[in-house]
Amino acid sequence: MLRRQLAPRPDWQQQAAQYGFHFHTMYGEPYWDESVYYQFSLAQIENDIENPSAELHEMCLAVVDAVVNSEQLLTKFQIPRPFWELVRDAWQSGAPSLYSRLDLVYDGNGPAKLLENNADTPTSLYETGFWQWLWLEQQVDRQQLPRASDQFNSLQEKLVYRFADIAQWYGINQMHFACCKDTDEDRGTVQYLQDCAIAAGLSADFVFIEDIGLADTGVFTDLADAPITDCFKLYPWEFMLRESYATELAQAQVNWLEPLWKSIISNKALLPQLWKMFPNHPNLLPAYFADEAPSSLDGKWVKKPLFSREGANISLIENNQTSTLSDGPYGEEGFILQAFHPLPRFERNYTLIGSWLVDNLPAGISVREDTSLITQDLSRYVPHIIL
Amino acid sequence: MSTQKRTKHIDLSRMRKAFAVKPLTLGIASVLLSACADDRQQAQIYTSVDDCNNDYPDARDQCQAAYQQAVEEAARTSPKFSTVNDCEHEFGTNQCRQVTNESGSFFMPFMAGYMVSQLLSPRSYYSQPLFTSYSPYSSFRSRWVSADGHVFNGDIRKRNYKVSPSQFKPKPTVTRTMSRGGFGSSVRAKSSWGSSSRSSGWGG
Repeated sequence: MLRRQLAPRPDWQQQAAQYGFHFHTMYGEPYWDESVYYQFSLAQIENDIENPSAELHEMCLAVVDAVVNSEQLLTKFQIPRPFWELVRDAWQSGAPSLYSRLDLVYDGNGPAKLLENNADTPTSLYETGFWQWLWLEQQVDRQQLPRASDQFNSLQEKLVYRFADIAQWYGINQMHFACCKDTDEDRGTVQYLQDCAIAAGLSADFVFIEDIGLADTGVFTDLADAPITDCFKLYPWEFMLRESYATELAQAQVNWLEPLWKSIISNKALLPQLWKMFPNHPNLLPAYFADEAPSSLDGKWVKKPLFSREGANISLIENNQTSTLSDGPYGEEGFILQAFHPLPRFERNYTLIGSWLVDNLPAGISVREDTSLITQDLSRYVPHIIL
Repeated sequence: MSTQKRTKHIDLSRMRKAFAVKPLTLGIASVLLSACADDRQQAQIYTSVDDCNNDYPDARDQCQAAYQQAVEEAARTSPKFSTVNDCEHEFGTNQCRQVTNESGSFFMPFMAGYMVSQLLSPRSYYSQPLFTSYSPYSSFRSRWVSADGHVFNGDIRKRNYKVSPSQFKPKPTVTRTMSRGGFGSSVRAKSSWGSSSRSSGWGG
């Protein structure tokens, strides 16, 4: 695993405009950075990332199976009681999932460690599945990268096949796609999924989450009053279950992507539960529910809320002393502790691997760098190759 | 290299966003339509709401709603062409209209009929727009064809078909939307907390 310099394609910004990649610069900071790339060996990709990702995913599914069948665990995972039956039904009926992203700590050697699972609303999908693919093709064509360069990235291909499977499963030829207003990044991600669904033969309608309506017949509607029967939503379940339409979910009978059972593994309660069920697994970090942690913890631990996003509300515990690393609006739902495992440092950057799965198939990686060790608040996306 | 670990091929023209709408390729039935099913349902084709009312005198509202749904579906999914010539070549002289929206200006055929099934089902019926061609150059001439290019057997005088429910899942009925905005409130609440430079976006 090497970090290498390479001159950016001279016309990449024009191409970004043509292809609709509108969020390569965010909040005045570069987000897409092709002046560097990471180089992996095939063995690193296959042995250290691809195979462990498939195994970690299987372990996560085992957690879902345990949680839906235990009221004590459903409580622990802060799934609101009125939805226990719906979560269980979604799991037991085999409601198909689309995708997820495992965040891994990996420095090129030894086992990758699971930091968390973005199983419900992962982003950086377009830049992974399409944009870094295009970068590789063009840099090879321009002879800036060796012909033998490959990339761990079958994401787009697998997404298209997966949409065709899901259409077959539900017997549909149309789906809705939804995200919140005022975010180019989320809208771009959802547009990409619409493109993949269209390539699979579906028609793909869009509605903003805030615009979803409730009809007299109990179904959800889009702005044209058309019923929403099958919907991809880039909006977390932990929010949806606590908002006013939550009580309508049972009657509306929408086939959601991600399905409701993903609320269990997008939750950081997953981490201590994995450690309980698969103790000392080489790809796991020790983790505890905050209220079950040993009274005296050696070493460094990170304390995270069950539902935090974007690195909010994180504290570091060292020798039983707590220091706050980031503020935020989360935490009332409870905390977990995870053993601190620093991200590898390449020059002045801390590097995080996102390992993607489409359904249960490992489908590629994204590499992000940040100058901050923990919060990853303004991370930059950098492409990678296999050589 | 046989063990390539990246997507084999991406149709770049389909990924471009800044260009005008391109003609859709008709005649490629989607993967859904290729599946054979035994659980097919009876469906009728109507060329007008009156045509439907004749069959269902007591279900005029449903006939009207199914028609409306097909019209909207047609606006969204009918084949689109960048020139009137391309469209008329496929569908016939004076069979196309010009449409302008935020993606640009293009031509699409008039809806020639709509197919409905389970119109009297209490929870759900379905409806889809159909097109036909008057062009001597087209393989759709005098045939019913759906927006995604599925060509139905027989000529346009045939009005009854058995269709697979997987061809289109029955849509629940909506008379009107009672309220909006029941999802999305957490975003406003959490976004008002302002110390993060990334205040929007809920992907992880």
